[in-house]
Amino acid sequence: MVQEQAAAAGANDAAPPAKDAEQQQPKPFSVKEGMQGIITLLEKAVKTKETRLLMGRLMRQTAMVRKHMTASDLVAFINTYLPKDSNSAGFLKGYVMQDGDTAPMEDDATAAGDAGDGADAGSALGPSQLPEVELYMYLLLLVNLLDRKQFAQAREVADTAVGLLQQHNRRTLDAIGARIYFYYSWAYECTGALADVRSTLMAAHCTAGLRHDAVGQETLLNLLLRNYLAYNLYDQAEKFRSKAQKADTWRVPGQYCRYLYYLGTIRAIQLEYTEAKEVLQQASRKAPTCAHGFRVACNKWLILVRLLLGEVPERVEFSAPGMRTPLAPYFELTCAVRSGDLAQFRVVSEKFAAAFRADRTTNLITRLQYNVIRTGLRRINLAYSRISLKDVAEKLALPSAVDAEYICAKAIRDGGIDAVLDHAGGFLATRELTDLYSTNEPQAAFHERIAFCLNLHNEAVKAMRFEPDAHKRALAAANGGKEQMSVEEIARAIEEEEDDM
Amino acid sequence: MSLLKEAQQLLDKLKTAHKKNDWPAGKAVLGQLRIKLIQLPAVPPNTGFSSPTAQQELLLARDVYEHAVLLALKSQDEAALESSFTQLKTFYADTRSLLPAAPQEWMFAGLDLLRLLVANRIAEFHTELELLPAEGMAAPHVVSAVQLEQWLMEGAYNKVLAAGKSLPPECSFAVEQLSATVREEIASCAEASYSSLKLADAQVLMMMTSKMELEQFAEQHGWAIEGDLVHFYRAAAADANAEQHLRLINQSLLYAKELERIV
Repeated sequence: MVQEQAAAAGANDAAPPAKDAEQQQPKPFSVKEGMQGIITLLEKAVKTKETRLLMGRLMRQTAMVRKHMTASDLVAFINTYLPKDSNSAGFLKGYVMQDGDTAPMEDDATAAGDAGDGADAGSALGPSQLPEVELYMYLLLLVNLLDRKQFAQAREVADTAVGLLQQHNRRTLDAIGARIYFYYSWAYECTGALADVRSTLMAAHCTAGLRHDAVGQETLLNLLLRNYLAYNLYDQAEKFRSKAQKADTWRVPGQYCRYLYYLGTIRAIQLEYTEAKEVLQQASRKAPTCAHGFRVACNKWLILVRLLLGEVPERVEFSAPGMRTPLAPYFELTCAVRSGDLAQFRVVSEKFAAAFRADRTTNLITRLQYNVIRTGLRRINLAYSRISLKDVAEKLALPSAVDAEYICAKAIRDGGIDAVLDHAGGFLATRELTDLYSTNEPQAAFHERIAFCLNLHNEAVKAMRFEPDAHKRALAAANGGKEQMSVEEIARAIEEEEDDM
Repeated sequence: MSLLKEAQQLLDKLKTAHKKNDWPAGKAVLGQLRIKLIQLPAVPPNTGFSSPTAQQELLLARDVYEHAVLLALKSQDEAALESSFTQLKTFYADTRSLLPAAPQEWMFAGLDLLRLLVANRIAEFHTELELLPAEGMAAPHVVSAVQLEQWLMEGAYNKVLAAGKSLPPECSFAVEQLSATVREEIASCAEASYSSLKLADAQVLMMMTSKMELEQFAEQHGWAIEGDLVHFYRAAAADANAEQHLRLINQSLLYAKELERIV
């Protein structure tokens, strides 16, 4: 289940090993079967108006087909499944041909032949009149172009697709539409023109809200947030997020994870570290195991937020598989903060300045300076029961004892250290440690854990779904050995009774 | 054409009013200028039209907004300051691609940051900071604002007050409020960390000039002055207890409710 949702989230999918063994066979074959399966699925789903089917299975199968698709395959599918005279068919084929593969021209004939065979051999699937199929073709082409890094062309295809999408108002199109918007935004992002897309996305978001298109709303909300955050417009992002209509429960787990991540970054910038930490932790936990890049990004922010809150992340987190290299600068940063050494902190932040700028975390790291001082103070406080302010200034590399006095006073007020200052004598004295268990601290810690478990239980209950045929089985079991009597038998039984009487 | 000329004349009037620090006259001229600006075709929000004098109009508009900000600064009018800063910032953002960059943009950014800092709107301070590109971060006003924020956060209040005295003249609005904020902060820190302090020391610590000031301050904060010492009381214990009880009750009720739900 988790892996399938990873595919739905559009992350790099890890095709399950069983499928790989199957696909050792000539590849076009299974791609064709995959396509047939998808088209059948689409038609069935539209007929029965079953949107959930679309979301899950369609995306999974698309992900599987995506890896092995070639230009010739695409042309074959377009020829088979779209009506010959539609505008889209011509438009799409034009783009597929542009690829610069010389191969398609030859393979076209063979592919067309194969497609013909395939179509006959399989179910009698011919050109389909459904807009779903049409837009699905657009989606496939978009995905293909993006995979091949042809961003400018992908952009054009996306424009047309979005234009076409806006003409329809069908709920069965929601899932496909959401994916199209996603790739539309991505194509623009890869060509560096993200700002242009903003008004279209906003309009689409409003429409999705009006039409109760939950999937579309979620996707578009995330796309808009990403748009604002790419330009550092945290203020606007927050205003939008607080005013946007959101459903109570999220349909797509991948979108929920993304939303949590964006929310976490906004909160971190706004200095609300507790909330940011909570949200980022949730995002990191809910993310599927194959969404590697996402987790790395989440973890980077999480580490910084924890440092800003005054806790030091465990060493284990940095050496998780695959995380060691990207998190290396943050590891060194954590060491510097932990040791309370301001000079070392400055050296580290200069050394990795480029990496931090790429991650957009430079400002957060400047804020960490205060934390370095506070950690240093805390260490001193723990080590000494009484220490003169002059010595404190020396140890922390502060300019003078007066500065040290002010800084200590502030740290005491903020609850960073538990001490008293004596101005006349000029020293810092630690207050006696009280027994922690006699305070309310353990209660608070327990409460957090209890609340989390209860929340988990509630969410699990909400996420349960009943099997659609369960009640039939129960009924059959209840009838048990009794045979179903036909109408005639019943009539005969009644006659016999009357005779008896 | 004549529209542009009229606007230019009004702008000159505004500049003279600004030099003379004449706020009411300046405000009146500003009102007229705003109407003129709406009529000019190339100024946002009328970006649909292009006109031959587009560049001049945009430059004119920028001048107007900048002077609006400066006037509001001089007159210490909070509401006007807020609105004129917002207008200026949106104007800069909209016309970034249309006009050559102006160095005073960063000065205004720095002033805005300073304004947010002394009003203690730190979250907005940081979101504004995120918007600045690398060259903006290097501008002197911005650098001093950022430095001040860091010192405030660290608690090096003596540095803050020293820097406050050496700010450029545009930032004069900030100095008073800054010293007031700093003094409050020092007071609360002192409450938490000292049990008692000699009067003379307290005066130096809070950077007050006279004993009278200190006594007034102490009255406000509920400190007791006995002879030579100032005693800081921490009277918050009782309330904390009541809060704790309430919290425990709430928590227990929550557990009961949730456990009942488990079938």
